[in-house]
Amino acid sequence: MSGDRGMTRRGFVLSLLSGSVLALSGASFLRKYTEGGMRAPAFIARAGDYEGEIASLIIAGLRELGINEKEIAGRKVLLKPNLVEPRRDCAHINTHPLVVRGALEAFLHMGADQVAVAEGAGHSRDSMLVLEESGLATVLQSDGIPFVDLNYDPVYTTENLGNRTKSKTFVLPRLLQRFDILVSMPKLKTHHWTGVTLSMKNLFGLMPGEFYGWPKNVLHHQGISRSILDINATVRPHLAIVDGIVGMEGDGPIMGQPRHVGVLVMGRNFPAVDATCARIMGIDPTRIEHLAGASGWLGPIAEKHIIQRGETIAAVQTPFRLIERIPAQRDIHL
Amino acid sequence: MDRYLDELIGRSLPEGGFASYEGGEYRPAASAWAALALRFHHARGDLVEKARSRLVEDQQRDGRVSVSSSHPSAYWPTAVAVLAWQGGALAHREAQERAVRFLLETSGLHWKNRSSEYIGHDTSIRGWPWVEGTHSWVEPTALAVMALAVVGRRDHERVREGLHMLQDRQLPSGGWNYGNTVTFGQELLPMVDATGMALTALAERTPRETVERSLQYLRRETRRLRTPLSLGWGLLGLKAWNEEPPESMDWIRETLEKQQTAGPFETSLLSLLLLTSALANGLIKALKGTESIARQGADS
Repeated sequence: MSGDRGMTRRGFVLSLLSGSVLALSGASFLRKYTEGGMRAPAFIARAGDYEGEIASLIIAGLRELGINEKEIAGRKVLLKPNLVEPRRDCAHINTHPLVVRGALEAFLHMGADQVAVAEGAGHSRDSMLVLEESGLATVLQSDGIPFVDLNYDPVYTTENLGNRTKSKTFVLPRLLQRFDILVSMPKLKTHHWTGVTLSMKNLFGLMPGEFYGWPKNVLHHQGISRSILDINATVRPHLAIVDGIVGMEGDGPIMGQPRHVGVLVMGRNFPAVDATCARIMGIDPTRIEHLAGASGWLGPIAEKHIIQRGETIAAVQTPFRLIERIPAQRDIHL
Repeated sequence: MDRYLDELIGRSLPEGGFASYEGGEYRPAASAWAALALRFHHARGDLVEKARSRLVEDQQRDGRVSVSSSHPSAYWPTAVAVLAWQGGALAHREAQERAVRFLLETSGLHWKNRSSEYIGHDTSIRGWPWVEGTHSWVEPTALAVMALAVVGRRDHERVREGLHMLQDRQLPSGGWNYGNTVTFGQELLPMVDATGMALTALAERTPRETVERSLQYLRRETRRLRTPLSLGWGLLGLKAWNEEPPESMDWIRETLEKQQTAGPFETSLLSLLLLTSALANGLIKALKGTESIARQGADS
């Protein structure tokens, strides 16, 4: 009898379900392919060395990204460089002090009410030493720019808006609430746990060591890539300026070798900026777990969805040496 | 040192304890370090007692003292509180005993090395973490070992295991960092503060030759580093091994004076330097009362 009717009730429900599953996976595929229609610009500037006019390059980059005086004037700008360990004469570990100076000059030139620098170093509790050894202390003191150690700043608790980890909340420095514009200023580096460390991973340094430890082991146990996504989704930073003048290849973020690339990379959308940086390093961003996870959610990572400004990727591409026996660096070359 | 002690006293809170900076909020670790600094400078015993009592108020039922009562998992200040309570009144000693029990019952996360190709240290040796539910690291383990040694538990199996863990995390070339020795075949770099803490914990518990390279590292680095955390722990590490560079007081003064350009030091850091200036030998010896107490006002 059931054959006469062509389809049983069970068969009908199953076909509906499988249709839905197909539709959903189709939608998921489409969303992944189109990255939800997300599009974002990334600006690449050539900067041969640290003695050049970095502030001018950054101002030019901001204008290319549609950021003008109106957006900056009267605002409080917080620069977050990557200062991970205290090492003298190692221009490839920490964000170079002259790039930080260039950024603070650029924002002050564009009318910022205040510019400060902050970091919660991930390995060393001695932030003053990290500042001194990196050369940044001299720059900040001569320019009268305050530095805030985020490892010990007063904190607030906020909901985790990413939900990729089990953390329901995050503890963040109160400083973030007092500033209008958060600028991530990472170094162009490979990383032995995440493949690359760029503007998104740099936000680990916002997490106060008093609550997350040294290293920020709570985030490691929650999953590094998932934590990167959650922090970025929760903090919603505003701008990335990547120091790619001298980067680090090989066993980053500390023990790798310097690699001269001669670029600054900037943008409002962090996945787009980091995907561009990855391509400059000769790395496929879709093979980087946190970038793939950000795709179509926090931003675009497909080259066709990133509006390239300034130099082309091809013009500055400098393939970084990767280490095959490091799993996070295996098979990630473009 | 008087003006720096005054600066520290200026950060005491009416309800007891100390803030990180003048006008700031109560912080447990800062309060414990401030109490230690004042105690060994024989200054403001009333503030020492109030800080100890504030730490008792802050202690949770299971004995832990956390960075903040709303974040009990960040319990690393427990060991520092144990040090601050040493030699205190009965209520402080009871709180200290609860904290000691807590330390003995807790440890970091441990596992058998999945691959020694990736991580050089033995991940199975128990120590103490910064934060509950994470791996054991050098500094919290050194602090816990110091705390337990001071209260007479130096022969407890957890202390012995903690010492073993610290030895395992010593870098092949000497010194300690936060706690990773070798990753992906590359030896990592040492840090002065972690080295000073580990050497303080290991003093009189391991033959000198097993840590000689680390002592050499500290001797070299303390000559040039002028930041409170590194110089403070660097000198404490050397003092624990009965070494004190003759210029150490000048270095401490020079570092304290940097506040004029770098801004005020956070209370834990200011206290650490003041404490270091007051101790002739090591921190553990001083707290166990075996040291002929400090340099009474010599540098005040």
